[in-house]
Amino acid sequence: MKSKLFKLLPMLMLLLLGLTISTCQRGKQKSKEGATIALVLKTLNHPFFIDMQRGAEEAADSLSVNLLIQAAEREVDVEKQMQIIENLIQRQVDAICVAPSGSRELVPVILKANEAGIPIITIDTRVDSAALVEIGAEVVTYVGSDNYEGGRIAGEFMVQELDGTGKVAILEGIPGHETGDARLRGFHKALEDAPGIEIVTSQTANWERDQGFNVFQNIMQSHPEVDAMFACNDLMALGAIEAIAAANKTGEIVVIGFDALNDAKIAIKEGKMRGSVAQHPYEMGKIAVESAYKVLQGKTVPEYIPVTIELITRKDLE
Amino acid sequence: MNLKDMIHHYGRQFGTLIGLLILCTVLWILSPFFLTVSNVLNIAQQTSINAIIAVGMTFVIITAGIDLSVGSILAFSGVVLASVAKAGAPVPVAIAAGLAVGLLCGLVNGLLITYGKLPPFISTLGMMSVARGAALLYSDGRPISGFSASFRFLATGEILHIPMPVIIMILVYLIAHFVLTRTKLGRYTFAIGGNEEAALLSGVNVKFYKAAVYGISGMLSGLAAVILTARLSSAQPIAGIMYELDAIAATVIGGTSLMGGEGTIVGTLIGAFIMGVLRNGLNLLGVSSFIQQIVIGSVIIIAVLVDMALKKQSK
Repeated sequence: MKSKLFKLLPMLMLLLLGLTISTCQRGKQKSKEGATIALVLKTLNHPFFIDMQRGAEEAADSLSVNLLIQAAEREVDVEKQMQIIENLIQRQVDAICVAPSGSRELVPVILKANEAGIPIITIDTRVDSAALVEIGAEVVTYVGSDNYEGGRIAGEFMVQELDGTGKVAILEGIPGHETGDARLRGFHKALEDAPGIEIVTSQTANWERDQGFNVFQNIMQSHPEVDAMFACNDLMALGAIEAIAAANKTGEIVVIGFDALNDAKIAIKEGKMRGSVAQHPYEMGKIAVESAYKVLQGKTVPEYIPVTIELITRKDLE
Repeated sequence: MNLKDMIHHYGRQFGTLIGLLILCTVLWILSPFFLTVSNVLNIAQQTSINAIIAVGMTFVIITAGIDLSVGSILAFSGVVLASVAKAGAPVPVAIAAGLAVGLLCGLVNGLLITYGKLPPFISTLGMMSVARGAALLYSDGRPISGFSASFRFLATGEILHIPMPVIIMILVYLIAHFVLTRTKLGRYTFAIGGNEEAALLSGVNVKFYKAAVYGISGMLSGLAAVILTARLSSAQPIAGIMYELDAIAATVIGGTSLMGGEGTIVGTLIGAFIMGVLRNGLNLLGVSSFIQQIVIGSVIIIAVLVDMALKKQSK
């Protein structure tokens, strides 16, 4: 009886692996002969990265390369992302495209990939170049929006919407992320030329929708006079407009977001938001895989491939 | 101890060990990249952080407690030791700072549980939030990076081709196994978890040993922070979110009973490796991230189910 039970565990584990294998087989049916390119995203539960994934898949299909897509369970878990890349190096993929969860933390594993001869392409978030140089690691190219420019466009639009005077609150992303920092710098730059505009507070809501709601609700308590809000991404802006609606102030506070998610476009149409800076994650994913392919063909690619960025307002949606 | 006794004594570990071996065999068949020296070392390195935290968790769970604050303590220790290392202090000083912060947080947990008479769940839940807030406050919410090569050696260095984190993990396991099986602290840990009242009546200083156990757990989180910080060459105040769950999982997969009084260090090591091997294998096979979560969760449930069935058998 006892020995029978000892057999139980392995059997159950086998069962579980059966499930795993069947999924792999499904993946294999799609795969073709040729290079294997890995795409490591920050997370797979964000529409932005799902679009990026679709773009990458389209490029992989048309180039007939195998695409392996992996992401950590949580966007902030850069250590897990590092583990995934280490495992992909063991798996001997031909190239890795990664949307880094941190600007500096991946540098050691990028060096490991370099040593294994695997080219690294970064998407969306730039890896700190000083940190790369310091240990001699190398990134082939960065495919992403010019976030600084995006922040600047948002700032200019804000000045225009407020006619040059007003009190502005800012919802920041996770501190220390190059993406969010660049957007902030651009936004601040645009406001420099508008002395009538005052930034009353700038707080983080960690990129998240629910935190956007709470943080902005608190801001409205402490700064009831606030006229406008810039959020470094749309999820935080979408949370904030709910808080604004709860305070019966919809339309009174100018809200500008970043990413132009579908929900944000709807909010812009309904007048709950004034605008959002659109990035093109689909293009990013596509260009990243195409660049990886070029590199594997022995061609050179520029070290920075900018992807178009534009402001979406109500006019554009009608 | 003859062979029969040994099988009886370590029987439950054999179950999980067989599970681990089967897992490895299947992955070996499925992926040509799995069973290579570099991948095995890679897995060991990736497992080290969770494995070290899980040692503290094993002590705590054997006393019938729980420590939910390990991930946050890791983050707090991390930013403190990073700032010390960045200021140019010698590596041992930075390590000591990290361990001290962890130990202090753990002791606060211990005091709240013993003298404050708070349930461990509540006191460590509170500490989870306090230490996280402290980490954010201390670092101003930003990652701290830029360390000397000698600090980074703690993660990137190798001795006889074995990565430093693996060496540290092995040392921790050897010491912990010795402490738990051969010392007063170890015996009292079991006694408290088995029957706290009885331990108290037979003269065990329950308060002292219980507080010590939470102190150990905190200190090991501090040690894990040293490795994590060196590995990422950056300390993040948001590091270690949900690490407590990975540590609890490794502990219970390894056969430690949540009811207390039972558990082994070897079992926890096997538990940590089951999780590490699984994650690595699923990456090598290119399994979707969503399915990975389902698989890992299922393994935890199955392992504990089997463990319970085995326990019933042996009684």
